[in-house]
Amino acid sequence: MRTFLFKRLPSGLAVLLAASFTVFLMLRLIPGDPATTLAGPDASPATVAAIRERLGLDAPLLSQYLHWLGQVLTGDLGPSYAIGGQVSELIGDGLAATFQLTLAALLLVVLLAVPTALYAVSARRRALAGALRALTTGALAVPPFVTGVLLVLAFAVGLGLLPAGGHASLFDAPDLAVQYLALPALCLALPSAAILARYLQDGLERALGEDYVRTATALGVPRRRILWRHALPNALPSAVTVLGLQIGQLIAGAVVVERIFAWPGLGQLIEQGVSRRDYPVVQDLLLLVVAGYVAVQLLTDLLYSWLDPRVRWE
Amino acid sequence: MTTISLPPAARSRSGNRSRNRYVAGLRTWRGVTGLVLVGTVALAGLLAPWLTGADPDAQGPQALAAPSGAHPLGTDDIGRDLLSRVLHGILTDLSIILTAVPAGALTGAALALLAGTSRAADLVVQRLFDLVLSFPGLILGLAVTAILGPGRWPVVIIIALAEVPYFGRQLRAGVLVQREREYALAARVGGAGRARVLLRHVLPNAVDPLVVQGAVALSAGVFIEGALSFLGLGVRPPEPTLGSLISGSVAYLDTHPVLAAPLAVTTALVLGFTLLAEALNRGART
Repeated sequence: MRTFLFKRLPSGLAVLLAASFTVFLMLRLIPGDPATTLAGPDASPATVAAIRERLGLDAPLLSQYLHWLGQVLTGDLGPSYAIGGQVSELIGDGLAATFQLTLAALLLVVLLAVPTALYAVSARRRALAGALRALTTGALAVPPFVTGVLLVLAFAVGLGLLPAGGHASLFDAPDLAVQYLALPALCLALPSAAILARYLQDGLERALGEDYVRTATALGVPRRRILWRHALPNALPSAVTVLGLQIGQLIAGAVVVERIFAWPGLGQLIEQGVSRRDYPVVQDLLLLVVAGYVAVQLLTDLLYSWLDPRVRWE
Repeated sequence: MTTISLPPAARSRSGNRSRNRYVAGLRTWRGVTGLVLVGTVALAGLLAPWLTGADPDAQGPQALAAPSGAHPLGTDDIGRDLLSRVLHGILTDLSIILTAVPAGALTGAALALLAGTSRAADLVVQRLFDLVLSFPGLILGLAVTAILGPGRWPVVIIIALAEVPYFGRQLRAGVLVQREREYALAARVGGAGRARVLLRHVLPNAVDPLVVQGAVALSAGVFIEGALSFLGLGVRPPEPTLGSLISGSVAYLDTHPVLAAPLAVTTALVLGFTLLAEALNRGART
C-alpha cells in the first residue's frame, strides 16, 4: 500500500498535471485569438480589448493557467464561448448520460467476454474454440461506426425491436431508458469484449498448460474445479489490466457511438466544442477525460495487487 | 555432437531465423487470408484510375441511381459515381496510413534510441509516452483537431502521434534486453562506442517486434481516419475517404443496400491488417 501511495499515486498525479499544462498550452498556440472570434468581424479594437480583459486573456500565461486550475478545483468553470451556458452545467448535463452508457458497456464487456473465454477453453471440441476465436477477430475488425450502422439496420429498421437513437431518463422511465441504452451500449462494448475475451482465453490456456495443472489433473481434481479454482485466479490479474486499458477505449469510443445513436453525452459535447472552437469546453473536457483515465489506471493497479498477492505493495 | 554446437550457431543467425518465422507465419491460413484481403483492396485502390473512367467528384444528373453500365455501383446522394469514389477513397486512406504509420514508427524508434543513451533521457522519454497515452484513442484525435482544425494533414499527424508510444515502448524494451546480451558486451569490450553499439549491433536485433506493431498500426490508422471522417473532422470534402463514404451513406442504407460497399471495403481492409498482425505475431512466438 505504501508503494502505491508514495510511488504510483504521485506519478499518476504528475501525468495529470503534465496533461493539464499540455492541454492549456496547446489551446493557447492556436492561431487566431478567441476574443477576436467572439467579438465578430466588425468589432472595434476597443470591444475586442474589453472582451479580452473580461475573459482574462490579457493576463500572463502562467497566471491564466493557475486561474484555470483554481476554476477546475472549485468546479466553477466559467461561461462557454460558442455553445452557450456555463461550462459546468453543460458538463453536468452530459456526464450522467455518458456515465450510464460507458457503465452499461463495461458491464456488457465483462458479461460477454468472461463466459466466452471460459467456454472456449473448456469446450471439448477444438472446432468450437476456433469458431469463437474467429468471432472475436471479426468483432475486432469491424470499426464501431460500422457496427453501429449495422445494429441500427438490423434491430431498428429491420426488426423494429429497438429505437434507432435517442435517450430517456433512467429515473423517469426505466423500461424506455433500457431500450434506448441497449444498442449504443452493445455497439460500444463489442470491440473491447473481443479484446478481453482474447486475452482471457490466452491467459487461461497458458495457465492450463502449467505444471501445477498437470499435478492437479494427476491427483484427480475435476477439470471444472481446475479451471475455476486454479487457472482463473492466475489468468485474472492480467485480464484486469486489459480491462482497465479498455475503459479508456470505451470513453473514447463513446464519442462516435453517441453521434450514431444521438446520445446526449459528453462525446457529443466535446465534438461540438471542437467543431465550433469552444475552447473552454474542449479544455475542461479533455482534462476531465484524462483525469478519469488516470484514475481508472490507478484503480486497476490496486485491483491487480489485490488479485495477485505476489505483487502486493509492501 | 551437434547439440553442443547448435545454440551458438542458432544465436548468431537469429536475425535470419526470425525473418523465416515471420514468413512461416504468413503462410498460415490467417496470413494468406490477410494478404489476399489487403492485397485485393490495395490493388483496387492503386488501379483506381484504370478501373473506372468516372471522376470521383463529378456530380451527375441522377442521385441515388441503381447500378448500371455507366455506374457499376450506382451513384451517391448527390449523383457521384460510387465505384469511383470507393476506389479513390481506398487510395486516400492508403496514402494517409502509409505516410502516418512510418512517420510514427520512425519517431517512436528515434525516441526509444534516445532513451537508450542515458537515464535522464530515458525518464523524459518514458513520461512523454505516458503523456500521449493518457489521451485515450480518439480523444487524442479531438485534441489535435481542436488546434489544427479538420483536414488531411491533421489526420496524418493524429495517426502518427497515436502510434509513437507503442512503437517507442516496444523498441525500448527490445533495446534493454539486447543491450545486456553477450554480443553487445563483446562489442563494447572490443572498443565500439556507445552510439555504434546501439545503432550497429543492438538496433538490428531489436526491431523485429515492430513488424507486428506495424500491421496493428495500419488497421488502427483506418479506424482513426474513419472515426474522424464520421464525426466530420477528417479529410475535407469532396475528397473521398472510406470514413466519409460510410458517414455519407448511412442515411440511405435501408433503401439503397448497394451503398454498403464502403462498409464492406473498410471491414475487409481492417480485417486483413488484423489477420496479418495475428499471423506475424503467432509466427514470432513459435
